[in-house]
Amino acid sequence: MTIMGTLLLLAAEAGELAEGAEGGGFGLNFNPLETNLVNLAIVIGVLVYFGRGFLGKTLNDRRDKIEAAIRDAEKRKQDAAAALAEQQQKLAQAQAEAARIRSEAEASAKRAADAVLAASEQEIERMRASAAQDLATQQEKIINELRQRVVTLAMQRAEDELRTSLSHDTQARLVDRSIAMLGGQS
Amino acid sequence: MEMLNSIQFFNAFPLAELEVGKHFYWHIGNLKLHGQVFLTSWFVIGLLLLASVLATRNIQRIPSGFQNLMEYALEFIRDLAKNQIGEKEYRPWVPFIGTLFLFIFVSNWSGALLPWRIIELPEGELAAPTSDINTTVALALLTSLAYFYAGFSKRGLGYFSKYVEPTPVLLPIAILEDFTKPLSLSFRLFGNILADELVVAVLVLLVPLFVPIPVMMLGLFTSAIQAIVFSTLAAAYIHEALEGHGGEEHEEH
Repeated sequence: MTIMGTLLLLAAEAGELAEGAEGGGFGLNFNPLETNLVNLAIVIGVLVYFGRGFLGKTLNDRRDKIEAAIRDAEKRKQDAAAALAEQQQKLAQAQAEAARIRSEAEASAKRAADAVLAASEQEIERMRASAAQDLATQQEKIINELRQRVVTLAMQRAEDELRTSLSHDTQARLVDRSIAMLGGQS
Repeated sequence: MEMLNSIQFFNAFPLAELEVGKHFYWHIGNLKLHGQVFLTSWFVIGLLLLASVLATRNIQRIPSGFQNLMEYALEFIRDLAKNQIGEKEYRPWVPFIGTLFLFIFVSNWSGALLPWRIIELPEGELAAPTSDINTTVALALLTSLAYFYAGFSKRGLGYFSKYVEPTPVLLPIAILEDFTKPLSLSFRLFGNILADELVVAVLVLLVPLFVPIPVMMLGLFTSAIQAIVFSTLAAAYIHEALEGHGGEEHEEH
Protein backbone atom coordinates (compact mmCIF):
# COMPACT_ATOMS: atom_id res chain seq x y z
CA MET A 1 0.00 0.00 0.00
CA THR A 2 2.76 2.38 0.89
CA ILE A 3 4.56 1.59 -2.34
CA MET A 4 1.37 2.31 -4.22
CA GLY A 5 1.05 5.54 -2.29
CA THR A 6 4.52 6.73 -3.16
CA LEU A 7 4.01 5.75 -6.72
CA LEU A 8 0.83 7.78 -6.84
CA LEU A 9 2.57 10.66 -5.14
CA LEU A 10 5.30 10.55 -7.72
CA ALA A 11 2.72 10.37 -10.42
CA ALA A 12 0.90 13.33 -8.99
CA GLU A 13 4.06 15.37 -8.92
CA ALA A 14 4.83 14.46 -12.46
CA GLY A 15 1.25 15.30 -13.36
CA GLU A 16 1.58 18.69 -11.85
CA LEU A 17 4.74 19.21 -13.79
CA ALA A 18 2.96 18.16 -16.92
CA GLU A 19 0.10 20.43 -16.11
CA GLY A 20 2.57 23.23 -15.89
CA ALA A 21 3.76 22.37 -19.34
CA GLU A 22 0.24 22.20 -20.67
CA GLY A 23 -1.73 25.11 -21.85
CA GLY A 24 0.36 25.61 -24.94
CA GLY A 25 3.14 24.29 -27.05
CA PHE A 26 4.84 20.99 -27.03
CA GLY A 27 6.08 19.21 -24.00
CA LEU A 28 7.16 15.91 -22.62
CA ASN A 29 5.13 13.90 -20.18
CA PHE A 30 6.84 11.03 -18.45
CA ASN A 31 4.01 10.21 -16.07
CA PRO A 32 3.95 6.40 -16.24
CA LEU A 33 0.24 6.23 -15.49
CA GLU A 34 -0.97 8.90 -17.84
CA THR A 35 1.16 7.78 -20.71
CA ASN A 36 0.51 4.08 -20.21
CA LEU A 37 4.27 3.48 -20.10
CA VAL A 38 4.17 0.47 -17.79
CA ASN A 39 1.67 -1.44 -19.87
CA LEU A 40 3.47 -0.57 -23.07
CA ALA A 41 6.74 -1.74 -21.60
CA ILE A 42 5.16 -5.03 -20.58
CA VAL A 43 3.49 -5.52 -23.96
CA ILE A 44 6.69 -4.73 -25.83
CA GLY A 45 8.60 -7.03 -23.51
CA VAL A 46 6.19 -9.91 -24.12
CA LEU A 47 6.24 -9.20 -27.85
CA VAL A 48 10.02 -9.14 -27.98
CA TYR A 49 10.30 -12.24 -25.80
CA PHE A 50 7.97 -14.37 -27.88
CA GLY A 51 8.53 -12.61 -31.17
CA ARG A 52 12.28 -12.97 -31.03
CA GLY A 53 12.07 -16.72 -30.64
CA PHE A 54 9.48 -17.22 -33.35
CA LEU A 55 10.87 -14.69 -35.78
CA GLY A 56 14.43 -15.75 -35.15
CA LYS A 57 13.55 -19.35 -35.87
CA THR A 58 11.61 -18.44 -38.99
CA LEU A 59 14.38 -16.22 -40.30
CA ASN A 60 17.03 -18.82 -39.52
CA ASP A 61 15.00 -21.45 -41.31
CA ARG A 62 14.62 -19.13 -44.28
CA ARG A 63 18.32 -18.36 -44.30
CA ASP A 64 19.22 -22.04 -44.10
CA LYS A 65 16.82 -22.84 -46.88
CA ILE A 66 18.28 -20.12 -49.10
CA GLU A 67 21.77 -21.22 -48.26
CA ALA A 68 20.93 -24.82 -49.09
CA ALA A 69 19.23 -23.75 -52.32
CA ILE A 70 22.22 -21.69 -53.37
CA ARG A 71 24.62 -24.47 -52.50
CA ASP A 72 22.48 -26.95 -54.39
CA ALA A 73 22.27 -24.66 -57.39
CA GLU A 74 26.00 -24.09 -57.35
CA LYS A 75 26.67 -27.80 -57.12
CA ARG A 76 24.34 -28.44 -60.00
CA LYS A 77 26.06 -25.71 -61.97
CA GLN A 78 29.42 -27.31 -61.32
CA ASP A 79 28.07 -30.71 -62.28
CA ALA A 80 26.63 -29.26 -65.43
CA ALA A 81 29.90 -27.53 -66.26
CA ALA A 82 31.79 -30.78 -65.70
CA ALA A 83 29.32 -32.69 -67.82
CA LEU A 84 29.59 -30.04 -70.50
CA ALA A 85 33.37 -30.26 -70.50
CA GLU A 86 33.19 -34.02 -70.68
CA GLN A 87 30.72 -33.97 -73.50
CA GLN A 88 32.76 -31.36 -75.32
CA GLN A 89 35.78 -33.58 -75.00
CA LYS A 90 33.75 -36.45 -76.34
CA LEU A 91 32.57 -34.28 -79.16
CA ALA A 92 36.13 -33.33 -80.03
CA GLN A 93 37.07 -36.99 -79.93
CA ALA A 94 34.19 -37.92 -82.11
CA GLN A 95 35.05 -35.16 -84.54
CA ALA A 96 38.65 -36.36 -84.70
CA GLU A 97 37.38 -39.88 -85.26
CA ALA A 98 35.06 -38.63 -87.96
CA ALA A 99 37.89 -36.78 -89.66
CA ARG A 100 40.06 -39.87 -89.47
CA ILE A 101 37.35 -42.10 -90.88
CA ARG A 102 36.67 -39.64 -93.63
CA SER A 103 40.32 -39.36 -94.67
CA GLU A 104 40.60 -43.11 -94.55
CA ALA A 105 37.53 -43.49 -96.65
CA GLU A 106 38.81 -40.93 -99.11
CA ALA A 107 42.10 -42.74 -99.39
CA SER A 108 40.46 -46.09 -99.92
CA ALA A 109 38.07 -44.58 -102.43
CA LYS A 110 41.01 -43.13 -104.31
CA ARG A 111 42.73 -46.47 -104.22
CA ALA A 112 39.67 -48.25 -105.48
CA ALA A 113 39.22 -45.70 -108.25
CA ASP A 114 42.83 -46.09 -109.29
CA ALA A 115 42.53 -49.86 -109.33
CA VAL A 116 39.37 -49.72 -111.37
CA LEU A 117 40.94 -47.28 -113.79
CA ALA A 118 44.04 -49.40 -114.19
CA ALA A 119 42.02 -52.55 -114.69
CA SER A 120 39.85 -50.96 -117.30
CA GLU A 121 42.86 -49.55 -119.10
CA GLN A 122 44.38 -52.99 -119.16
CA GLU A 123 41.19 -54.43 -120.45
CA ILE A 124 41.01 -51.84 -123.17
CA GLU A 125 44.58 -52.61 -124.09
CA ARG A 126 43.85 -56.26 -124.18
CA MET A 127 40.74 -55.84 -126.25
CA ARG A 128 42.55 -53.60 -128.67
CA ALA A 129 45.31 -56.16 -129.00
CA SER A 130 42.93 -58.99 -129.57
CA ALA A 131 41.03 -56.93 -132.12
CA ALA A 132 44.22 -56.14 -133.98
CA GLN A 133 45.18 -59.78 -133.95
CA ASP A 134 41.80 -60.77 -135.21
CA LEU A 135 42.04 -58.28 -138.01
CA ALA A 136 45.44 -59.59 -139.01
CA THR A 137 44.38 -63.25 -139.11
CA GLN A 138 41.25 -62.35 -140.98
CA GLN A 139 43.25 -60.38 -143.50
CA GLU A 140 45.70 -63.20 -143.92
CA LYS A 141 42.90 -65.64 -144.31
CA ILE A 142 41.21 -63.54 -146.92
CA ILE A 143 44.48 -62.99 -148.75
CA ASN A 144 45.09 -66.70 -148.67
CA GLU A 145 41.67 -67.34 -149.98
CA LEU A 146 42.09 -64.80 -152.68
CA ARG A 147 45.41 -66.26 -153.57
CA GLN A 148 43.90 -69.73 -153.72
CA ARG A 149 41.12 -68.52 -155.86
CA VAL A 150 43.43 -66.69 -158.19
CA VAL A 151 45.54 -69.81 -158.49
CA THR A 152 42.49 -71.93 -159.13
CA LEU A 153 41.18 -69.52 -161.72
CA ALA A 154 44.56 -69.30 -163.38
CA MET A 155 44.89 -73.07 -163.43
CA GLN A 156 41.43 -73.39 -164.84
CA ARG A 157 42.12 -70.80 -167.50
CA ALA A 158 45.40 -72.44 -168.26
CA GLU A 159 43.74 -75.79 -168.52
CA ASP A 160 41.08 -74.36 -170.77
CA GLU A 161 43.74 -72.65 -172.86
CA LEU A 162 45.64 -75.85 -172.97
CA ARG A 163 42.59 -77.83 -173.90
CA THR A 164 41.57 -75.47 -176.68
CA SER A 165 44.84 -74.38 -178.17
CA LEU A 166 47.14 -77.20 -177.42
CA SER A 167 47.25 -79.14 -180.64
CA HIS A 168 49.40 -82.00 -181.33
CA ASP A 169 52.07 -79.91 -183.00
CA THR A 170 52.37 -77.47 -180.35
CA GLN A 171 52.64 -80.26 -177.89
CA ALA A 172 55.44 -81.74 -179.63
CA ARG A 173 57.11 -78.46 -180.09
CA LEU A 174 56.82 -77.77 -176.41
CA VAL A 175 58.22 -81.10 -175.55
CA ASP A 176 61.08 -80.47 -177.86
CA ARG A 177 61.76 -77.16 -176.50
CA SER A 178 61.67 -78.50 -172.98
CA ILE A 179 64.05 -81.22 -173.98
CA ALA A 180 66.21 -78.63 -175.63
CA MET A 181 66.15 -76.55 -172.54
CA LEU A 182 67.10 -79.51 -170.48
CA GLY A 183 69.83 -80.36 -172.88
CA GLY A 184 71.06 -76.85 -173.20
CA GLN A 185 71.41 -76.56 -169.57
CA SER A 186 73.21 -79.62 -168.83
CA MET B 1 -8.76 5.37 6.70
CA GLU B 2 -5.64 5.36 4.68
CA MET B 3 -7.50 3.52 1.97
CA LEU B 4 -10.15 6.19 1.82
CA ASN B 5 -7.51 8.84 1.76
CA SER B 6 -5.81 7.32 -1.19
CA ILE B 7 -9.09 7.02 -3.05
CA GLN B 8 -9.77 10.67 -2.48
CA PHE B 9 -6.29 11.38 -3.60
CA PHE B 10 -6.99 9.31 -6.66
CA ASN B 11 -9.95 11.44 -7.56
CA ALA B 12 -8.17 14.70 -7.03
CA PHE B 13 -5.37 13.61 -9.25
CA PRO B 14 -5.83 14.47 -12.92
CA LEU B 15 -5.67 11.11 -14.63
CA ALA B 16 -5.01 10.64 -18.28
CA GLU B 17 -7.69 12.45 -20.17
CA LEU B 18 -9.20 11.32 -23.39
CA GLU B 19 -8.98 13.71 -26.24
CA VAL B 20 -11.34 12.48 -28.90
CA GLY B 21 -12.27 14.83 -31.67
CA LYS B 22 -9.62 17.31 -30.71
CA HIS B 23 -7.00 17.91 -33.31
CA PHE B 24 -3.76 19.73 -33.54
CA TYR B 25 -4.68 21.94 -36.46
CA TRP B 26 -2.29 23.38 -38.95
CA HIS B 27 -3.67 26.14 -41.10
CA ILE B 28 -2.47 26.27 -44.67
CA GLY B 29 -4.48 28.76 -46.65
CA ASN B 30 -8.10 27.84 -46.05
CA LEU B 31 -7.22 24.27 -45.22
CA LYS B 32 -7.15 22.88 -41.73
CA LEU B 33 -4.76 20.00 -41.50
CA HIS B 34 -4.61 17.49 -38.70
CA GLY B 35 -1.02 18.05 -37.67
CA GLN B 36 -0.73 15.07 -35.35
CA VAL B 37 -1.60 12.72 -38.21
CA PHE B 38 1.07 14.27 -40.38
CA LEU B 39 3.65 13.98 -37.65
CA THR B 40 3.00 10.32 -37.04
CA SER B 41 2.68 9.61 -40.77
CA TRP B 42 6.04 11.19 -41.38
CA PHE B 43 7.46 9.18 -38.55
CA VAL B 44 6.08 5.95 -40.04
CA ILE B 45 7.26 6.86 -43.54
CA GLY B 46 10.69 7.73 -42.19
CA LEU B 47 10.80 4.42 -40.33
CA LEU B 48 9.93 2.49 -43.49
CA LEU B 49 12.43 4.43 -45.58
CA LEU B 50 15.11 3.86 -43.00
CA ALA B 51 14.27 0.17 -42.88
CA SER B 52 14.44 -0.21 -46.65
CA VAL B 53 17.71 1.71 -46.84
CA LEU B 54 19.23 -0.33 -44.04
CA ALA B 55 18.05 -3.58 -45.58
CA THR B 56 19.42 -2.81 -49.04
CA ARG B 57 22.59 -0.98 -48.10
CA ASN B 58 24.79 -4.02 -47.97
CA ILE B 59 23.09 -6.76 -49.91
CA GLN B 60 24.47 -10.21 -49.35
CA ARG B 61 23.90 -13.23 -51.49
CA ILE B 62 22.87 -15.21 -48.46
CA PRO B 63 20.62 -12.84 -46.54
CA SER B 64 21.23 -12.37 -42.87
CA GLY B 65 19.94 -10.15 -40.14
CA PHE B 66 17.85 -7.23 -41.22
CA GLN B 67 18.05 -7.99 -44.92
CA ASN B 68 16.64 -11.42 -44.17
CA LEU B 69 13.76 -9.92 -42.20
CA MET B 70 12.87 -7.47 -44.96
CA GLU B 71 13.12 -10.15 -47.60
CA TYR B 72 10.77 -12.22 -45.52
CA ALA B 73 8.34 -9.29 -45.42
CA LEU B 74 8.67 -8.83 -49.16
CA GLU B 75 8.02 -12.52 -49.72
CA PHE B 76 4.92 -12.29 -47.56
CA ILE B 77 3.63 -9.31 -49.56
CA ARG B 78 4.46 -10.98 -52.85
CA ASP B 79 2.62 -14.13 -51.87
CA LEU B 80 -0.35 -12.05 -50.78
CA ALA B 81 -0.46 -10.24 -54.11
CA LYS B 82 0.10 -13.47 -56.03
CA ASN B 83 -2.69 -15.24 -54.21
CA GLN B 84 -5.16 -12.46 -54.90
CA ILE B 85 -4.22 -11.20 -58.36
CA GLY B 86 -2.85 -14.37 -59.86
CA GLU B 87 0.49 -15.51 -61.19
CA LYS B 88 0.16 -13.71 -64.52
CA GLU B 89 -0.66 -10.17 -63.49
CA TYR B 90 0.53 -9.78 -59.92
CA ARG B 91 4.05 -8.49 -60.51
CA PRO B 92 3.37 -4.77 -61.30
CA TRP B 93 1.02 -4.55 -58.33
CA VAL B 94 3.41 -5.76 -55.66
CA PRO B 95 4.76 -2.26 -54.91
CA PHE B 96 1.29 -0.80 -54.43
CA ILE B 97 -0.02 -3.66 -52.29
CA GLY B 98 3.22 -3.77 -50.37
CA THR B 99 3.17 -0.04 -49.66
CA LEU B 100 -0.40 -0.28 -48.42
CA PHE B 101 0.37 -3.23 -46.20
CA LEU B 102 3.61 -1.89 -44.75
CA PHE B 103 2.29 1.60 -44.14
CA ILE B 104 -0.89 0.40 -42.48
CA PHE B 105 0.87 -2.29 -40.50
CA VAL B 106 3.61 -0.02 -39.20
CA SER B 107 1.09 2.75 -38.51
CA ASN B 108 -1.15 0.42 -36.52
CA TRP B 109 1.65 -1.08 -34.54
CA SER B 110 3.30 2.25 -33.89
CA GLY B 111 -0.01 3.41 -32.47
CA ALA B 112 -0.26 0.30 -30.34
CA LEU B 113 3.35 -0.02 -29.23
CA LEU B 114 4.96 3.40 -29.06
CA PRO B 115 4.34 5.66 -26.09
CA TRP B 116 3.13 8.55 -28.19
CA ARG B 117 1.64 10.27 -25.20
CA ILE B 118 5.06 11.13 -23.88
CA ILE B 119 5.03 13.92 -26.42
CA GLU B 120 2.38 16.48 -25.62
CA LEU B 121 0.85 18.57 -28.31
CA PRO B 122 -0.87 21.91 -27.83
CA GLU B 123 -4.09 20.17 -28.69
CA GLY B 124 -5.04 16.62 -29.49
CA GLU B 125 -2.64 13.74 -29.11
CA LEU B 126 -0.38 11.65 -31.26
CA ALA B 127 -1.79 8.30 -32.30
CA ALA B 128 -1.63 5.87 -35.18
CA PRO B 129 -2.16 7.71 -38.49
CA THR B 130 -4.73 5.08 -39.43
CA SER B 131 -6.95 6.08 -36.52
CA ASP B 132 -7.76 9.25 -38.42
CA ILE B 133 -10.47 8.91 -41.06
CA ASN B 134 -8.57 11.17 -43.50
CA THR B 135 -5.67 8.75 -43.76
CA THR B 136 -7.84 5.71 -44.35
CA VAL B 137 -10.02 7.54 -46.87
CA ALA B 138 -6.91 8.59 -48.74
CA LEU B 139 -5.67 5.00 -48.81
CA ALA B 140 -9.07 3.70 -49.88
CA LEU B 141 -9.37 6.28 -52.68
CA LEU B 142 -5.91 5.36 -53.87
CA THR B 143 -7.09 1.78 -54.00
CA SER B 144 -10.11 2.85 -56.05
CA LEU B 145 -7.87 4.73 -58.46
CA ALA B 146 -5.59 1.71 -58.65
CA TYR B 147 -8.31 -0.72 -59.59
CA PHE B 148 -9.87 1.66 -62.11
CA TYR B 149 -6.43 2.13 -63.64
CA ALA B 150 -5.93 -1.64 -63.66
CA GLY B 151 -9.26 -2.20 -65.38
CA PHE B 152 -8.82 0.51 -68.02
CA SER B 153 -5.22 -0.28 -68.80
CA LYS B 154 -6.01 -3.98 -69.19
CA ARG B 155 -9.32 -3.88 -71.02
CA GLY B 156 -9.80 -0.33 -72.22
CA LEU B 157 -13.40 0.76 -72.46
CA GLY B 158 -14.38 -2.89 -72.30
CA TYR B 159 -13.95 -2.46 -68.58
CA PHE B 160 -17.43 -0.96 -68.48
CA SER B 161 -18.86 -4.25 -69.66
CA LYS B 162 -18.35 -5.63 -66.18
CA TYR B 163 -21.12 -3.32 -64.97
CA VAL B 164 -23.69 -5.16 -67.09
CA GLU B 165 -21.91 -8.44 -67.26
CA PRO B 166 -24.15 -10.97 -65.48
CA THR B 167 -27.34 -9.03 -66.23
CA PRO B 168 -27.99 -5.33 -66.81
CA VAL B 169 -30.46 -5.50 -63.92
CA LEU B 170 -27.53 -5.33 -61.54
CA LEU B 171 -26.20 -2.13 -63.08
CA PRO B 172 -27.18 0.10 -60.12
CA ILE B 173 -25.61 -2.31 -57.67
CA ALA B 174 -22.47 -2.50 -59.76
CA ILE B 175 -22.22 1.27 -59.78
CA LEU B 176 -22.95 1.39 -56.09
CA GLU B 177 -20.13 -1.04 -55.51
CA ASP B 178 -17.60 1.50 -56.70
CA PHE B 179 -18.72 3.77 -53.90
CA THR B 180 -19.09 1.16 -51.21
CA LYS B 181 -15.67 -0.32 -51.79
CA PRO B 182 -13.62 2.69 -50.67
CA LEU B 183 -16.22 3.46 -48.03
CA SER B 184 -16.04 0.05 -46.45
CA LEU B 185 -12.27 -0.11 -46.77
CA SER B 186 -11.70 3.21 -45.07
CA PHE B 187 -14.34 2.80 -42.37
CA ARG B 188 -13.25 -0.70 -41.50
CA LEU B 189 -9.67 0.31 -40.93
CA PHE B 190 -10.42 3.62 -39.26
CA GLY B 191 -13.08 2.11 -37.02
CA ASN B 192 -10.98 -0.81 -35.91
CA ILE B 193 -7.90 1.20 -35.07
CA LEU B 194 -9.73 4.08 -33.42
CA ALA B 195 -11.92 1.72 -31.41
CA ASP B 196 -8.91 -0.24 -30.32
CA GLU B 197 -7.08 2.89 -29.20
CA LEU B 198 -10.17 4.19 -27.46
CA VAL B 199 -10.73 0.96 -25.59
CA VAL B 200 -7.15 0.96 -24.42
CA ALA B 201 -7.34 4.64 -23.48
CA VAL B 202 -10.57 4.18 -21.53
CA LEU B 203 -9.20 1.16 -19.72
CA VAL B 204 -6.04 3.04 -18.89
CA LEU B 205 -8.21 5.84 -17.59
CA LEU B 206 -10.11 3.45 -15.34
CA VAL B 207 -7.37 1.05 -14.29
CA PRO B 208 -3.97 2.36 -15.19
CA LEU B 209 -1.93 -0.76 -14.59
CA PHE B 210 -1.95 -4.31 -16.03
CA VAL B 211 -5.67 -4.58 -16.83
CA PRO B 212 -5.35 -3.02 -20.31
CA ILE B 213 -2.60 -5.45 -21.30
CA PRO B 214 -4.87 -8.19 -22.73
CA VAL B 215 -6.77 -5.57 -24.67
CA MET B 216 -3.51 -4.15 -25.95
CA MET B 217 -2.43 -7.61 -27.07
CA LEU B 218 -5.75 -8.06 -28.80
CA GLY B 219 -5.20 -4.63 -30.33
CA LEU B 220 -1.86 -5.72 -31.76
CA PHE B 221 -3.55 -8.76 -33.24
CA THR B 222 -6.44 -6.84 -34.80
CA SER B 223 -4.05 -4.17 -36.06
CA ALA B 224 -2.04 -6.75 -37.96
CA ILE B 225 -5.22 -8.40 -39.21
CA GLN B 226 -6.58 -5.06 -40.43
CA ALA B 227 -3.41 -4.36 -42.36
CA ILE B 228 -3.66 -7.77 -44.03
CA VAL B 229 -7.37 -7.30 -44.68
CA PHE B 230 -6.90 -3.91 -46.28
CA SER B 231 -4.13 -4.99 -48.61
CA THR B 232 -5.81 -8.29 -49.43
CA LEU B 233 -9.05 -6.53 -50.32
CA ALA B 234 -7.17 -3.96 -52.41
CA ALA B 235 -5.49 -6.79 -54.29
CA ALA B 236 -8.81 -8.59 -54.69
CA TYR B 237 -10.45 -5.46 -56.14
CA ILE B 238 -7.55 -5.05 -58.56
CA HIS B 239 -7.88 -8.67 -59.57
CA GLU B 240 -11.60 -8.25 -60.14
CA ALA B 241 -10.97 -5.19 -62.31
CA LEU B 242 -8.36 -7.06 -64.29
CA GLU B 243 -10.40 -10.18 -64.85
CA GLY B 244 -13.98 -8.96 -64.83
CA HIS B 245 -16.81 -11.40 -64.43
CA GLY B 246 -16.02 -12.90 -67.80
CA GLY B 247 -15.00 -16.33 -68.89
CA GLU B 248 -11.28 -15.80 -68.34
CA GLU B 249 -11.68 -16.30 -64.66
CA HIS B 250 -13.54 -19.53 -65.06
CA GLU B 251 -10.97 -20.92 -67.41
CA GLU B 252 -8.27 -20.41 -64.85
CA HIS B 253 -9.95 -22.11 -61.97
